[in-house]
Amino acid sequence: MLKNRNIFAFLVLLLTMLFVVACSPAGTGTEVVEEEVPAEDDMAEDEEMAEDEEMADDEEMAEEPYKIGFIAAITGGAAPLGEPEAATAEMIQAQLDEQGGITGPDGVTRPVEIIILDSQSNPDAATSAITQLIEEEEVDLLIAGTTSGNSLAMVPIATENQVPMISMASAGAIVRNEDGSAREWIFKTPQDNLQSAEWQGQYLNTLGFANACYLFENNGYGQDTLASAQAVYPDYGVEIGYNDSFNATDTEFPQVQNVLADGCEVVVIGSTTNGSINMHNAVAQGAPDVAIVHGHGVCNQAFIDGLTDNKEGTPLPCGKLLVPDQLPDDDPQKDVVTTYIDEYTAFTGGDPISTFGGHAYDAFLMAIAALESLEGGQELDARRAAIRDYLETQIIDFPGTGGVFNMSAEDHLGLDFTALTFVRVEGDGYAFYPEDAWGTE
Amino acid sequence: MANKYGDVIGVAVLAVAVLLIGLFQVFQPGGATFGDLTGGIVTFSTMVRIGILTIVIVGLNMLMGYAGQISLGQAAFYGMGAYASAVFSTRPELFGLPESLVAMWWWPWVVILAAMGFTGLFAYLVGRPILRLKGHYLAMATLGLGIMVYILFRENFGFRTTETNITGGYDGLFDVPRLAIGGFSLWPVERYYFFVWAIALIVIVLAMNMVKSRPGRALRAIHSSEIAAETMGVDTASFKVQVFVISAVFASLAGSLYAHFQAAVSPAPFSFEGSLDLVVMAAVGGMASVWGAPFGVATILVLEDLLRARLDLIFEGASGEIEVIVFGGLLVLIMIFMPEGVFVGIRNRINAWREERAGAAGDALPEQGAAK
Amino acid sequence: MQKLLQSQTARRIAQIALVTVLVGLTIYFAAQKNYRPVQYVQLALDGLRGGTIYALVALGFVTVFNVTGIINFAQGAFAMLGAMIAVSVNIALADLPGVPRLLLAGLAAVLITTLVGVIMERVTIFPARDAEPLTLIIITVGVFIVLQGIALLIWGTDSYSLDSFTTFETSDHIIRLGGEAEGAIPLIIRSQSFWIWGTAAVLMAGLWFFFERTMIGRALKACSDNRQAAALMGISPERMSMLSFALAAAVGAIGGFVLAPATRPIYDMGLSLGLKGFIAAIIGGLVNPAAAVVGGLMLGVIENLGAGITRAGFKDVIAFLILILMLLFRPQGLFTRQQRVEKV
Repeated sequence: MLKNRNIFAFLVLLLTMLFVVACSPAGTGTEVVEEEVPAEDDMAEDEEMAEDEEMADDEEMAEEPYKIGFIAAITGGAAPLGEPEAATAEMIQAQLDEQGGITGPDGVTRPVEIIILDSQSNPDAATSAITQLIEEEEVDLLIAGTTSGNSLAMVPIATENQVPMISMASAGAIVRNEDGSAREWIFKTPQDNLQSAEWQGQYLNTLGFANACYLFENNGYGQDTLASAQAVYPDYGVEIGYNDSFNATDTEFPQVQNVLADGCEVVVIGSTTNGSINMHNAVAQGAPDVAIVHGHGVCNQAFIDGLTDNKEGTPLPCGKLLVPDQLPDDDPQKDVVTTYIDEYTAFTGGDPISTFGGHAYDAFLMAIAALESLEGGQELDARRAAIRDYLETQIIDFPGTGGVFNMSAEDHLGLDFTALTFVRVEGDGYAFYPEDAWGTE
Repeated sequence: MANKYGDVIGVAVLAVAVLLIGLFQVFQPGGATFGDLTGGIVTFSTMVRIGILTIVIVGLNMLMGYAGQISLGQAAFYGMGAYASAVFSTRPELFGLPESLVAMWWWPWVVILAAMGFTGLFAYLVGRPILRLKGHYLAMATLGLGIMVYILFRENFGFRTTETNITGGYDGLFDVPRLAIGGFSLWPVERYYFFVWAIALIVIVLAMNMVKSRPGRALRAIHSSEIAAETMGVDTASFKVQVFVISAVFASLAGSLYAHFQAAVSPAPFSFEGSLDLVVMAAVGGMASVWGAPFGVATILVLEDLLRARLDLIFEGASGEIEVIVFGGLLVLIMIFMPEGVFVGIRNRINAWREERAGAAGDALPEQGAAK
Repeated sequence: MQKLLQSQTARRIAQIALVTVLVGLTIYFAAQKNYRPVQYVQLALDGLRGGTIYALVALGFVTVFNVTGIINFAQGAFAMLGAMIAVSVNIALADLPGVPRLLLAGLAAVLITTLVGVIMERVTIFPARDAEPLTLIIITVGVFIVLQGIALLIWGTDSYSLDSFTTFETSDHIIRLGGEAEGAIPLIIRSQSFWIWGTAAVLMAGLWFFFERTMIGRALKACSDNRQAAALMGISPERMSMLSFALAAAVGAIGGFVLAPATRPIYDMGLSLGLKGFIAAIIGGLVNPAAAVVGGLMLGVIENLGAGITRAGFKDVIAFLILILMLLFRPQGLFTRQQRVEKV
């Protein structure tokens, strides 16, 4: 009997331990946390409570930093997109630190803390991270979501907690409810792939292609380019015949045989740089008579350097960010584009510019503008609401790297169709390819 | 006899602990949330997640621990529940069902039950032939199955997303409604927490009863020696399939709960990596114990939260890769030193130590021998 | 007996039905494509190249399994390490001329990976050598996760490129056969393919020599035939276990190295290579190196043809379908008669 009772006691002990483990960092065996963190947090808590009581004391409030929560896919499948985004966030943090923070209309400068978390390209990690940022870090706003899937998983959490969130992913559903109205708390900066598809459709139509083959990289980005093309091309009298996916690391490309079998005269490739290079070369070698058009995800130097066959004259729509030299001086984006390129190149020591980093940069520009407009002495909920209102109503004629933004209560993307331009490969660079020159040679 | 009362007390303690945490979050004494209690590391949502995954791991534990059958594709069943709930509760019209069902509060519940049934049937049809395999052959077969199901989710079953959008491809499905009973919504998160843990406790109790029933004893016989069990007249094949089906049904149920919790479903958590995470949780908990499940899930999820929140203190600029290495290393260490799992391993070791001490103390505990 | 007979008949019927369905589906899908005969040849030829790499990975599986009875899940990570290390060394030695640079890159890749294999065996497999197969599988899975995590830490998520062996440039020579006539489709072979095939052939010949003609190779073989007898003969199974991991790692690294110019190596390429290599080994029956090689080539060809006539996104589905069908109907491999599996 005695033994039995001891076993009960033991089980009870274990189960209690289970919940001690679950409830406190002490149980996880990380000594550092046990000793330091709760102490710090208790203090922070005390401070906060003290502040709540002395709300009138503006000086006290001025010390408290603004917090921007930032979640990107730094690892995992979408990391090639998320890494430049995170680097941009680090760059902004460094800049803000140098300036001492953000100066509000009341003339008080408050420091800004950007908390960068990794979504690991996984929606579960993304939602855990956003919950942590909202509930524990009590961020003022969120810049979150490299991929559409992760952004969509975070949307309900930001909405329920009434925290403004700016996504860096492409899908339109991120900012739109099913009935087409804007999601109240959610904004985003990347232009849809639709715009790229418009350019391609126009080009294919001008050159008289009625049937195109579409090859896309097997990830969220590639799938979205296909969906956009399928939505837009019919407007230009272009039908998509054979379409299939590929991986950036494939060694064999059976797609080429299907292109030959389908008989289409043009292949459109929707992918990021590495995949586009491999697919382009495979098509150019296996089906040299078929024309190739690319999307706007690839116009950088690495792409040109990687092409081996049928390189000259390859046409593609291109974000202005990637062809700054081609922009006229009066282009409203010229300033912001060149600033970002200079800053990013200097900060990262020469990393290639990508549109994805640009999406993060645009989001930060908006976030900083909103924070600069904040009156001091507001409570967190009021600040969050004020930021949301600012993003919705005050982002007018706002030049970013991805376009000129005009947000409204109906449109939480607010991009017009001037953000892209059309170029082609000439020698070892890109050259502006005006519409009246299409198909003339 | 020890087990009997031990389990009852265990369930009671777990229930009380769940209740306390929930009540703490609801009433927030002194203005402190549950998250504050943990130094801002573990969020309350994590507690819901632990409940959901406990349901999966209880099933996986039974399969791996008691039946000795490995599954490297359990995330497929988890995903089937999640996708079924997400698809049917947002767009039943895709399958010729009236669209008005979306507005009915009882519809998601019907979907959950139907998904459990379908997943169970699927597991039965697949399990019959697959479970004839042993050891690594079975491991690889379940792995292949898991990857195939994942690819079908990701590729939208081969349909173009613009025409027949079932799974939403990489982006997945979103705006999954919250559950409600009549007019009573099971949301905000505190309510969902109680609901999920109530289900988890029921699953734990069910599993414990199965373990102790005749099939359960047969299962343990399978694990120790399949041939011996067969000689004793145990129909091992049919028992293995039963456990496989039960574990799949549990996973499907958890998947549905996950879909209504997350409100969005995309393929990544149901990939091969997702299945591996489940195996890690089961291994940490201990595979021959129902109690290992909540223990293992809690350890891993809390560790994840901790690494995410505090990693920068340990490694400057590090992110997910450290987490990956830590989990991989943990898995190897546990398997080398405590192949029976941490929970069970510690328990066994304490028992052994106690017996040793009792032995050293001579006849201090005379009924020791009798109890054995 | 009656029951057994029935189940065997049922199984045979199921097999025949399945094969009929699969052949029917293949013909159906192929008929929907407007392929010319030369295109099937092209698809098969491309598949043969990928299949060669699968064969090399499969050789690693077979070597380790024969000696230790372990399915080494980390086998794909060896190939990944081979490719990534070769790329890194190649970049680090940018000043050297092409040939020595490439040789050093290959040598470094093989040596470092072999060392990793040995360390893996000593640190993780040796202490748990008496554990159940389930435990050992999970251990190798854990090692795989760690190796991939370390690769992620070192190389990040970027993909790299290694110059083609023949041109010492990113672009590769192409050999066109036929297709001069108007509208005809030429057969295309990239010169790196010859490197892959050639290296694999030399490697297999070398392995055959090692197992059949050298003392230590024969000891290894004896160990795989009968461990206890080998131990009685004075061969230490533990040393042989280490040797088998070293050999598997080296073969995997060579595979990764010759594959590197044909793809863009990235930290997570190991998983798919490992799984495909395992399927190849299963087709070959898991114990027979030569059969595993044939299995790898078959898998590459079937997979690429299948992807060609259905969708490329389903390439992996086709591969895993083969795996499951093999496990269900011929777990002893395509080329073996007796039922070996039941004993495991």
